[in-house]
Amino acid sequence: MRAIALNLLIILLAISPAAAFQPDSIGHIQTLNGTATILRGNTSIPAAKALPVFRGDTIRTSKTGSLGIVLTDDTTFSLGPNSEIVISDYMFNPREGKFSMITKMVKGTFSYISGLMGKLSPNSIKMDIPNATISVRGTKLLINIEAD
Amino acid sequence: MNRLILILPGIILFLGLCSACTPKHTHTVLLTADPDGHVGKAEVTTAGGKLLLDSANAMTSISEPNAAPTVVTTASSEYINAKFAQVLAVEPVPSEKFIIYFNNNTSEMTSESKAIFPRIVDAIDKRKAISIKISGHADSTGSDKLNIKLSCARARAIRDLLARHGISAENMEVSSHGKGNQLIPTADNVAEPRNRRVEIIVR
Repeated sequence: MRAIALNLLIILLAISPAAAFQPDSIGHIQTLNGTATILRGNTSIPAAKALPVFRGDTIRTSKTGSLGIVLTDDTTFSLGPNSEIVISDYMFNPREGKFSMITKMVKGTFSYISGLMGKLSPNSIKMDIPNATISVRGTKLLINIEAD
Repeated sequence: MNRLILILPGIILFLGLCSACTPKHTHTVLLTADPDGHVGKAEVTTAGGKLLLDSANAMTSISEPNAAPTVVTTASSEYINAKFAQVLAVEPVPSEKFIIYFNNNTSEMTSESKAIFPRIVDAIDKRKAISIKISGHADSTGSDKLNIKLSCARARAIRDLLARHGISAENMEVSSHGKGNQLIPTADNVAEPRNRRVEIIVR
Protein backbone atom coordinates (compact mmCIF):
# COMPACT_ATOMS: atom_id res chain seq x y z
CA MET A 1 0.00 0.00 0.00
CA ARG A 2 2.75 2.38 0.98
CA ALA A 3 4.63 1.46 -2.16
CA ILE A 4 1.60 2.35 -4.27
CA ALA A 5 1.24 5.69 -2.53
CA LEU A 6 4.91 6.39 -3.00
CA ASN A 7 4.71 5.48 -6.67
CA LEU A 8 1.75 7.75 -7.11
CA LEU A 9 3.61 10.59 -5.45
CA ILE A 10 6.62 10.07 -7.68
CA ILE A 11 4.40 10.07 -10.77
CA LEU A 12 2.64 13.25 -9.64
CA LEU A 13 5.95 14.97 -8.95
CA ALA A 14 7.32 13.90 -12.29
CA ILE A 15 4.29 15.09 -14.22
CA SER A 16 3.85 18.50 -12.67
CA PRO A 17 6.74 19.66 -10.52
CA ALA A 18 5.86 23.33 -11.03
CA ALA A 19 2.13 23.07 -10.44
CA ALA A 20 2.53 21.50 -7.03
CA PHE A 21 4.71 24.13 -5.42
CA GLN A 22 4.42 27.44 -7.23
CA PRO A 23 1.97 29.20 -9.52
CA ASP A 24 2.27 28.13 -13.14
CA SER A 25 3.88 30.50 -15.55
CA ILE A 26 1.46 31.87 -18.13
CA GLY A 27 3.95 32.24 -20.94
CA HIS A 28 7.49 33.23 -21.76
CA ILE A 29 9.63 35.82 -23.50
CA GLN A 30 10.21 34.54 -27.01
CA THR A 31 12.14 37.40 -28.63
CA LEU A 32 14.23 40.22 -27.18
CA ASN A 33 16.23 43.13 -28.57
CA GLY A 34 18.07 45.50 -26.26
CA THR A 35 16.98 45.62 -22.64
CA ALA A 36 13.66 45.28 -20.84
CA THR A 37 12.42 44.64 -17.33
CA ILE A 38 9.77 42.51 -15.68
CA LEU A 39 8.28 44.02 -12.51
CA ARG A 40 6.92 41.25 -10.27
CA GLY A 41 5.61 42.47 -6.93
CA ASN A 42 8.47 44.50 -5.50
CA THR A 43 11.19 42.90 -7.56
CA SER A 44 12.54 43.97 -10.90
CA ILE A 45 13.92 41.23 -13.13
CA PRO A 46 15.96 41.86 -16.28
CA ALA A 47 14.17 40.33 -19.26
CA ALA A 48 15.84 37.40 -21.01
CA LYS A 49 14.84 35.04 -23.79
CA ALA A 50 12.80 32.05 -22.51
CA LEU A 51 12.19 33.74 -19.14
CA PRO A 52 8.75 32.71 -17.82
CA VAL A 53 6.01 35.32 -17.42
CA PHE A 54 3.50 35.20 -14.55
CA ARG A 55 0.02 36.57 -13.91
CA GLY A 56 0.30 40.11 -12.56
CA ASP A 57 3.63 40.89 -14.24
CA THR A 58 4.37 44.34 -15.63
CA ILE A 59 6.66 44.24 -18.65
CA ARG A 60 8.56 47.37 -19.59
CA THR A 61 11.00 47.93 -22.44
CA SER A 62 13.84 50.47 -22.39
CA LYS A 63 14.23 53.27 -24.95
CA THR A 64 16.12 50.88 -27.19
CA GLY A 65 14.44 47.64 -26.11
CA SER A 66 11.72 45.55 -27.73
CA LEU A 67 10.40 42.05 -27.06
CA GLY A 68 7.78 39.43 -27.90
CA ILE A 69 5.82 37.38 -25.36
CA VAL A 70 4.01 34.11 -26.08
CA LEU A 71 1.25 33.10 -23.65
CA THR A 72 0.07 29.53 -23.00
CA ASP A 73 -2.82 29.74 -25.47
CA ASP A 74 -0.47 31.03 -28.20
CA THR A 75 -1.55 34.66 -27.82
CA THR A 76 1.40 36.92 -28.57
CA PHE A 77 2.08 40.46 -27.38
CA SER A 78 5.03 42.33 -28.82
CA LEU A 79 6.32 45.58 -27.34
CA GLY A 80 8.25 48.27 -29.16
CA PRO A 81 10.74 50.59 -27.41
CA ASN A 82 9.70 52.53 -24.30
CA SER A 83 6.53 50.48 -23.84
CA GLU A 84 4.75 49.08 -20.82
CA ILE A 85 2.04 46.44 -20.40
CA VAL A 86 0.47 44.89 -17.29
CA ILE A 87 -0.96 41.38 -17.52
CA SER A 88 -3.50 41.85 -14.73
CA ASP A 89 -5.24 38.52 -15.14
CA TYR A 90 -4.71 35.41 -17.23
CA MET A 91 -6.29 32.00 -17.08
CA PHE A 92 -6.36 29.41 -19.84
CA ASN A 93 -7.95 26.15 -18.78
CA PRO A 94 -9.93 24.65 -21.66
CA ARG A 95 -10.60 21.39 -19.77
CA GLU A 96 -12.60 23.28 -17.13
CA GLY A 97 -13.79 25.99 -19.51
CA LYS A 98 -12.04 28.73 -17.52
CA PHE A 99 -10.70 31.65 -19.51
CA SER A 100 -9.59 35.17 -18.67
CA MET A 101 -7.17 37.67 -20.14
CA ILE A 102 -7.08 41.22 -18.84
CA THR A 103 -4.22 43.43 -19.95
CA LYS A 104 -3.48 47.09 -19.57
CA MET A 105 -1.27 48.86 -22.06
CA VAL A 106 0.21 51.93 -20.40
CA LYS A 107 2.48 53.45 -23.06
CA GLY A 108 4.34 52.64 -26.25
CA THR A 109 3.73 50.50 -29.32
CA PHE A 110 2.21 47.01 -29.32
CA SER A 111 1.26 44.17 -31.56
CA TYR A 112 -1.37 41.71 -30.35
CA ILE A 113 -2.02 38.43 -32.17
CA SER A 114 -4.87 36.37 -30.78
CA GLY A 115 -4.33 32.75 -29.80
CA LEU A 116 -6.64 29.87 -28.89
CA MET A 117 -8.55 31.95 -26.34
CA GLY A 118 -9.61 34.28 -29.14
CA LYS A 119 -11.32 31.27 -30.74
CA LEU A 120 -12.66 29.51 -27.64
CA SER A 121 -13.76 32.46 -25.54
CA PRO A 122 -13.31 35.91 -27.12
CA ASN A 123 -15.54 37.53 -24.47
CA SER A 124 -12.93 36.67 -21.82
CA ILE A 125 -10.40 38.97 -23.47
CA LYS A 126 -10.20 42.60 -22.40
CA MET A 127 -7.51 45.08 -23.28
CA ASP A 128 -7.39 48.44 -21.55
CA ILE A 129 -5.64 51.46 -22.97
CA PRO A 130 -5.84 54.99 -21.53
CA ASN A 131 -9.43 56.26 -21.93
CA ALA A 132 -10.66 53.18 -23.82
CA THR A 133 -11.12 49.41 -23.77
CA ILE A 134 -10.74 47.05 -26.70
CA SER A 135 -12.59 43.77 -27.29
CA VAL A 136 -11.60 41.41 -30.08
CA ARG A 137 -12.87 38.66 -32.34
CA GLY A 138 -9.81 36.60 -33.25
CA THR A 139 -7.45 39.06 -34.84
CA LYS A 140 -4.27 41.06 -34.94
CA LEU A 141 -4.04 44.62 -33.66
CA LEU A 142 -1.38 47.30 -33.69
CA ILE A 143 -1.69 49.83 -30.89
CA ASN A 144 0.15 53.08 -30.25
CA ILE A 145 -0.17 54.85 -26.91
CA GLU A 146 1.33 58.28 -26.50
CA ALA A 147 2.62 59.28 -23.08
CA ASP A 148 4.79 61.94 -21.45
CA MET B 1 25.89 89.32 -22.90
CA ASN B 2 27.81 86.17 -23.71
CA ARG B 3 25.83 84.33 -21.13
CA LEU B 4 22.55 85.50 -22.65
CA ILE B 5 23.62 84.20 -26.05
CA LEU B 6 24.37 80.88 -24.45
CA ILE B 7 21.03 80.47 -22.75
CA LEU B 8 18.87 82.06 -25.45
CA PRO B 9 18.53 78.81 -27.50
CA GLY B 10 17.55 77.08 -24.31
CA ILE B 11 14.80 79.61 -23.61
CA ILE B 12 13.47 79.34 -27.19
CA LEU B 13 13.50 75.53 -27.00
CA PHE B 14 11.72 75.66 -23.67
CA LEU B 15 8.98 77.95 -25.01
CA GLY B 16 8.63 75.78 -28.13
CA LEU B 17 8.26 72.62 -26.09
CA CYS B 18 5.75 74.25 -23.81
CA SER B 19 3.41 75.25 -26.60
CA ALA B 20 3.57 71.66 -27.89
CA CYS B 21 3.06 70.06 -24.53
CA THR B 22 -0.63 70.73 -24.07
CA PRO B 23 -1.51 67.47 -22.33
CA LYS B 24 -3.30 65.87 -25.25
CA HIS B 25 -2.18 62.39 -26.22
CA THR B 26 -3.58 60.50 -29.14
CA HIS B 27 -3.80 56.73 -28.94
CA THR B 28 -4.26 54.66 -32.05
CA VAL B 29 -5.82 51.21 -32.56
CA LEU B 30 -5.26 49.54 -35.90
CA LEU B 31 -6.67 46.23 -37.17
CA THR B 32 -4.49 44.19 -39.51
CA ALA B 33 -4.59 40.72 -41.05
CA ASP B 34 -3.50 37.73 -38.92
CA PRO B 35 -0.32 35.87 -39.90
CA ASP B 36 -2.62 33.48 -41.84
CA GLY B 37 -4.25 36.36 -43.76
CA HIS B 38 -7.56 36.35 -41.89
CA VAL B 39 -9.02 39.72 -40.80
CA GLY B 40 -11.02 39.61 -37.54
CA LYS B 41 -12.89 42.32 -35.69
CA ALA B 42 -12.19 44.65 -32.80
CA GLU B 43 -14.41 47.04 -30.92
CA VAL B 44 -13.03 50.16 -29.22
CA THR B 45 -15.14 51.62 -26.40
CA THR B 46 -14.70 54.98 -24.65
CA ALA B 47 -16.91 56.93 -22.27
CA GLY B 48 -18.22 58.75 -25.37
CA GLY B 49 -19.13 55.77 -27.56
CA LYS B 50 -17.93 52.65 -29.35
CA LEU B 51 -16.58 51.85 -32.76
CA LEU B 52 -16.10 48.63 -34.74
CA LEU B 53 -13.00 47.90 -36.79
CA ASP B 54 -13.65 45.09 -39.28
CA SER B 55 -11.52 45.61 -42.39
CA ALA B 56 -7.79 45.30 -43.05
CA ASN B 57 -5.79 48.30 -41.77
CA ALA B 58 -8.87 50.01 -40.34
CA MET B 59 -7.72 52.54 -37.75
CA THR B 60 -9.25 54.77 -35.09
CA SER B 61 -7.84 57.28 -32.60
CA ILE B 62 -8.70 58.32 -29.07
CA SER B 63 -7.56 61.67 -27.73
CA GLU B 64 -10.18 63.24 -25.48
CA PRO B 65 -11.16 61.13 -22.46
CA ASN B 66 -14.89 61.56 -23.00
CA ALA B 67 -15.07 61.72 -26.79
CA ALA B 68 -16.10 58.83 -29.02
CA PRO B 69 -13.30 57.11 -31.00
CA THR B 70 -12.67 58.94 -34.30
CA VAL B 71 -14.26 57.66 -37.53
CA VAL B 72 -12.48 54.75 -39.17
CA THR B 73 -9.69 55.55 -41.61
CA THR B 74 -7.46 53.14 -43.51
CA ALA B 75 -3.80 53.16 -42.51
CA SER B 76 -1.25 53.17 -45.33
CA SER B 77 1.62 50.69 -45.27
CA GLU B 78 3.99 53.68 -45.01
CA TYR B 79 2.25 54.77 -41.83
CA ILE B 80 2.35 51.24 -40.39
CA ASN B 81 6.04 50.85 -41.17
CA ALA B 82 6.92 54.27 -39.77
CA LYS B 83 5.01 53.78 -36.54
CA PHE B 84 5.37 50.05 -35.88
CA ALA B 85 8.58 48.89 -37.63
CA GLN B 86 10.36 48.00 -34.37
CA VAL B 87 7.45 46.14 -32.84
CA LEU B 88 6.78 44.24 -36.08
CA ALA B 89 10.45 43.25 -36.23
CA VAL B 90 10.29 41.54 -32.83
CA GLU B 91 7.00 39.63 -33.34
CA PRO B 92 7.45 35.92 -32.54
CA VAL B 93 7.22 33.64 -35.57
CA PRO B 94 3.99 31.56 -35.47
CA SER B 95 4.35 28.17 -33.83
CA GLU B 96 4.75 24.93 -35.79
CA LYS B 97 2.82 21.79 -34.86
CA PHE B 98 3.78 18.17 -35.47
CA ILE B 99 1.89 14.97 -34.72
CA ILE B 100 3.58 11.64 -34.04
CA TYR B 101 1.45 8.45 -34.08
CA PHE B 102 1.99 5.24 -32.10
CA ASN B 103 1.28 1.55 -32.42
CA ASN B 104 -1.62 0.21 -30.39
CA ASN B 105 -1.00 0.07 -26.63
CA THR B 106 2.67 0.96 -26.91
CA SER B 107 4.92 4.00 -26.82
CA GLU B 108 6.53 2.88 -30.05
CA MET B 109 6.14 5.21 -33.03
CA THR B 110 4.52 3.97 -36.21
CA SER B 111 7.02 3.51 -39.02
CA GLU B 112 5.55 6.53 -40.87
CA SER B 113 6.09 8.71 -37.82
CA LYS B 114 9.62 7.40 -37.32
CA ALA B 115 10.33 8.58 -40.82
CA ILE B 116 9.15 12.16 -40.20
CA PHE B 117 10.83 12.50 -36.80
CA PRO B 118 14.05 14.03 -38.21
CA ARG B 119 11.93 16.85 -39.69
CA ILE B 120 10.89 17.85 -36.17
CA VAL B 121 14.49 17.97 -34.98
CA ASP B 122 15.37 20.07 -38.04
CA ALA B 123 12.52 22.50 -37.38
CA ILE B 124 13.58 22.94 -33.74
CA ASP B 125 17.19 23.57 -34.76
CA LYS B 126 16.36 25.86 -37.66
CA ARG B 127 14.13 28.20 -35.70
CA LYS B 128 16.32 27.96 -32.57
CA ALA B 129 13.17 27.02 -30.66
CA ILE B 130 13.09 27.82 -26.96
CA SER B 131 9.70 26.27 -26.20
CA ILE B 132 8.76 22.71 -27.17
CA LYS B 133 5.42 21.56 -25.79
CA ILE B 134 4.92 17.80 -25.92
CA SER B 135 1.48 16.42 -25.12
CA GLY B 136 0.69 12.69 -25.02
CA HIS B 137 -2.68 11.17 -25.96
CA ALA B 138 -4.31 7.74 -26.11
CA ASP B 139 -7.40 6.41 -27.85
CA SER B 140 -10.51 5.59 -25.80
CA THR B 141 -9.99 1.83 -25.44
CA GLY B 142 -8.92 0.57 -22.01
CA SER B 143 -9.21 2.08 -18.55
CA ASP B 144 -8.58 5.74 -17.72
CA LYS B 145 -5.65 4.69 -15.55
CA LEU B 146 -4.05 2.79 -18.38
CA ASN B 147 -4.59 5.64 -20.82
CA ILE B 148 -3.03 8.23 -18.53
CA LYS B 149 0.00 5.98 -18.08
CA LEU B 150 0.20 5.28 -21.80
CA SER B 151 -0.16 8.91 -22.89
CA CYS B 152 2.48 9.91 -20.37
CA ALA B 153 4.86 7.20 -21.56
CA ARG B 154 4.38 8.33 -25.18
CA ALA B 155 5.10 11.99 -24.37
CA ARG B 156 8.20 11.04 -22.37
CA ALA B 157 9.45 8.72 -25.09
CA ILE B 158 9.35 11.66 -27.51
CA ARG B 159 10.99 14.00 -25.00
CA ASP B 160 13.80 11.50 -24.38
CA LEU B 161 14.32 10.93 -28.06
CA LEU B 162 14.48 14.69 -28.74
CA ALA B 163 16.96 15.01 -25.86
CA ARG B 164 19.12 12.30 -27.47
CA HIS B 165 19.09 14.45 -30.61
CA GLY B 166 20.60 17.32 -28.63
CA ILE B 167 17.45 19.27 -27.79
CA SER B 168 17.80 20.91 -24.37
CA ALA B 169 15.52 19.33 -21.75
CA GLU B 170 15.11 22.79 -20.23
CA ASN B 171 13.12 23.93 -23.26
CA MET B 172 10.76 20.95 -23.26
CA GLU B 173 7.49 20.76 -21.39
CA VAL B 174 5.61 17.46 -21.15
CA SER B 175 1.91 16.96 -20.46
CA SER B 176 -0.35 13.92 -20.75
CA HIS B 177 -4.04 13.93 -21.52
CA GLY B 178 -5.04 10.26 -21.31
CA LYS B 179 -7.94 9.77 -23.70
CA GLY B 180 -8.85 13.48 -23.41
CA ASN B 181 -8.45 16.07 -26.19
CA GLN B 182 -9.10 13.60 -28.98
CA LEU B 183 -8.00 14.47 -32.48
CA ILE B 184 -10.85 12.38 -33.86
CA PRO B 185 -13.80 12.54 -31.42
CA THR B 186 -15.03 9.03 -30.58
CA ALA B 187 -17.22 7.33 -27.98
CA ASP B 188 -15.60 5.24 -25.24
CA ASN B 189 -13.79 2.03 -26.21
CA VAL B 190 -13.18 2.95 -29.83
CA ALA B 191 -9.84 1.98 -31.31
CA GLU B 192 -8.77 5.04 -33.31
CA PRO B 193 -5.14 5.10 -34.50
CA ARG B 194 -5.22 8.87 -35.08
CA ASN B 195 -5.88 9.45 -31.37
CA ARG B 196 -2.79 7.45 -30.34
CA ARG B 197 -0.48 10.36 -30.66
CA VAL B 198 1.89 12.95 -29.29
CA GLU B 199 1.48 16.56 -30.38
CA ILE B 200 4.58 18.74 -30.46
CA ILE B 201 4.23 22.51 -30.61
CA VAL B 202 7.46 24.29 -31.41
CA ARG B 203 8.11 27.99 -30.67
